[in-house]
Amino acid sequence: MDSPSADIHLSPVTKNAVLVDGVVLNGPTLDSKSGEKFVEEAFPLIMEEAVRKATNVNEKVCEWQPPDALKQLLDLELREEGESHQQILQRCQDVIKYSVKTGHPRFFNQLYAGLDHYSLVARFITEALNPSVYTYEVSPVFLLIEEVVLKKMMEYVGWEKGGDGIFCPGGSVSNMYAVNVARYKHCPNIKDEGLSGLPRLVMFASEECHYSISKAAAFLGIGMKNVYAVSSDDRGKMIPEELEKQVQRAKKEGAVPFLVCATAGTTVFGAFDPLQEIADVCKKHHLWLHVDASWGGSALMSRKHRHLLSGIHRADSVAWNPHKMLMAGLQCCAFLMKDRTGLLQMCHSAQASYLFQKDKFYDVSCDTGDKSIQCSRRSDAFKFWFMWKAIGTRGLEGRVNRALALARYLAEEIKKKEGFRLLLEPEYANVCFWYIPPSLRNMPEGPEFWKRLHQVAPAIKERMMKKGSMMIGYQPHRCQVNFFRQIVISPQVSREDMDFVLKEIEALGVDM
Amino acid sequence: GPHQLPCDILPNDPTPVCEWKDPEMLRDLLDLELGDSSEPHEKLLQLCRDVARFSVKTNHPRFFNQLFAGLDHHALVGRFLSDSLNTSQYTYEVGPVFVLMEEVVLTKLRAVIGWNSGDGIFCPGGSISTMYAMNLARYRAFPEVKVRGLWSLPRLALFTSQECHYSVKKSACFLGIGLENVQLVDGIFPFMVSATSGSTVFGAFDPLDEIADVCQKYQLWFHVDAAWGGSVLLSKKHRHLMTGIDRADSVAWNPHKMMMAGLQCSAFLLKDTSNLLKLCHSANATYLFQQDKFYDISYDTGDKSIQCGRKVDCLKLWLMWKARGTRGMEERVDRAFAYTRYLMDEMKKREGFQLLLEPQFVNICFWYIPPSLRGQQGQEGYEEKLSKVAPIVKERMIKKGSMMVSYQPRGSQVNFFRMVVINPQITREDLDFFLDEIESLASDL
Repeated sequence: MDSPSADIHLSPVTKNAVLVDGVVLNGPTLDSKSGEKFVEEAFPLIMEEAVRKATNVNEKVCEWQPPDALKQLLDLELREEGESHQQILQRCQDVIKYSVKTGHPRFFNQLYAGLDHYSLVARFITEALNPSVYTYEVSPVFLLIEEVVLKKMMEYVGWEKGGDGIFCPGGSVSNMYAVNVARYKHCPNIKDEGLSGLPRLVMFASEECHYSISKAAAFLGIGMKNVYAVSSDDRGKMIPEELEKQVQRAKKEGAVPFLVCATAGTTVFGAFDPLQEIADVCKKHHLWLHVDASWGGSALMSRKHRHLLSGIHRADSVAWNPHKMLMAGLQCCAFLMKDRTGLLQMCHSAQASYLFQKDKFYDVSCDTGDKSIQCSRRSDAFKFWFMWKAIGTRGLEGRVNRALALARYLAEEIKKKEGFRLLLEPEYANVCFWYIPPSLRNMPEGPEFWKRLHQVAPAIKERMMKKGSMMIGYQPHRCQVNFFRQIVISPQVSREDMDFVLKEIEALGVDM
Repeated sequence: GPHQLPCDILPNDPTPVCEWKDPEMLRDLLDLELGDSSEPHEKLLQLCRDVARFSVKTNHPRFFNQLFAGLDHHALVGRFLSDSLNTSQYTYEVGPVFVLMEEVVLTKLRAVIGWNSGDGIFCPGGSISTMYAMNLARYRAFPEVKVRGLWSLPRLALFTSQECHYSVKKSACFLGIGLENVQLVDGIFPFMVSATSGSTVFGAFDPLDEIADVCQKYQLWFHVDAAWGGSVLLSKKHRHLMTGIDRADSVAWNPHKMMMAGLQCSAFLLKDTSNLLKLCHSANATYLFQQDKFYDISYDTGDKSIQCGRKVDCLKLWLMWKARGTRGMEERVDRAFAYTRYLMDEMKKREGFQLLLEPQFVNICFWYIPPSLRGQQGQEGYEEKLSKVAPIVKERMIKKGSMMVSYQPRGSQVNFFRMVVINPQITREDLDFFLDEIESLASDL
């Protein structure tokens, strides 16, 4: 018979069939053999198309299709009947073909890129085992691994006595944890009573901070307008004196400052706030200092560059995403706290008796799930741990150093090349620059110039994507018109790729 | 004619469900330390083996411990693919296939609910879906709360049943509403009701039509936490358990549970078509959601989310659904129900197994009363002795590695087992074994 993917094998049964509720119960429905066969055939396809080719500089970064065309090509509809083995394999192929190759050496578009094979293997293992990291009972290995990884990361932050922490589904959620824990520390009653009727809480972050700070304020009921934006200097760093002013302002208004979020590695410029001075302000006013090091935290792995985060040990909490610069694979986001009094647990626990029984036969302090706002939770630390085992601290450090060296190289080349203009000297891996096409080069830099320059990056972006040669992000920022933000991460990126970036932009923009 | 089900001899599976080690011992065995230099190839492979060996086999036919279990091979390939391609769901630019795919999958889930339009998103877990519902309900009632916060608002309250999942409480705390305000309190502004379709312990289904009537009358946001029970909607035979679901404002449904899509796969669905989700959450970050892109930017759905980077969770579900078809998915649900009934019938035939209640779903809650305690109900010390049975049996089964099933107390009811039937790889032998094993492990108690 022509059966879909469950290639049926009819074989003798061990028990007579029974009919229950209209269902014939006789043996497993899930045919493991054909399922395993599918996995075995899909795997080489994944290795070839989604790993080897996808990281090969000679292949395209993307296979651009506009949305309507792509809908047609993919045939996404879900139907009553299943499809055949071959059809499903073809679907895998199509999904790969039209997906952007974020592991490609010329994918510079986001704050993640590249592919680490050890992390990938660990991720495959995680998927196959499908654990949930709430209790030791159900995920003993992954819980212990998370503990070790958090501890190691805290060493790099500089907390010798250790601390507390958890992996979160994203840096945005890590930042929310910070706000919630800081708020709870300030006033534990809020957990039970809520915010209504209380004096207004205010938090502070630089105007360059990640937008998740605003989303956190909205989500947690604090309100976006109660995030006071602190001015930054021309290098994108928070100005501590301005922070002091804002704190004073909030107090005069009768509001209650409770948290400062400093950013170590801002999203656009890759700037690092001056943590020591900010910590001084926080100490003076008894404010929780959270450092959003989602992007810049990995500089801590480099003895050469860790000075960028000097003072971070004074933070109360830190967000750090190894899935960014360290290529651990989405998601891999640690929320770390200096506290060792169980604050995280107290803040979040609901003590559900169906999950966190007190009378288990092992030490229930191993069940860390109640620290989380989540119930079931993926094991996100394992892939980082395994990669670390494979490469070692020195290997990870080497990657960071190399990425930053390449960024520096690109910046220097930009300075030498006509038509390219750096916005600012990069401190980290963000290289922000304009491309000024020949037709604009002799124009006086008035409103007309900027207006036309604003249109250059989007047009070049369109061309590079349709060609599939590379991907670089652009954005306007504050009063600056659209500029490119090139991000260097992957150790597979070469100097030639950096040269290519500039040549390609020139080629794509030559007629503008 | 009737479907031909694939039949296979399932040999006595020698793989234990778990290989128990207590934490101290496991730490030693695993060589967890992270060092300066890289480890050799062979050592790394050995680490892989060790990790797999000492991990609990949640795919095992005798893992009954949680509200997820089993393995779907197509979903697994979908997950391998998602990991290899490693992209974020926020824009069409970097995730073109997945942006389109997520919309198709959400549309399908909404259609199963009974909505032919609406909105939605995949969340990192059902708990966060609950938070989305709460935030949206609050925003709809008081849109100014996004910018101004809760300070000037009246105290908000929401209602839910005692059987609700604890994420309702965690959500109220996290969102600044406060634990005390989950229930009925004087002098407050009710804004939301969270009903449960498939409660965590009992698998009970709240009467949605009646609750919808109340919500309609008082203009309350009606959220249905169908994280666990949502999959009954796939079954023509059993979907009546959720009659009235189409009257909800929002629904949480986790395909990583009964549908075995693999953690995480949690859909948050809403009926709204006024772009409420985006209005509620957006921050309009210019570095990500540029307004001058060369394609239709309405495809950049990332600003609907509270997350920035977001893992692709739709592919595994989509690929599995493509492979199985809606009918294949329905068969699994019907099968799980049928096995539950079978197990219940067998249980009733055996002495010592006492059901707490007739299951509506696939959760079977029961006490096992060892021979020494039978007939002593009502006598002094009975409850205390009974409460010790489950923990000891659990310890024994874990150390033996033969199976895993959870237990818990509930209110005045002492520890009872909660058996959950999901995995299509389960056979009647496994269920018979389940009863035999409990009897055997408890025989001397």
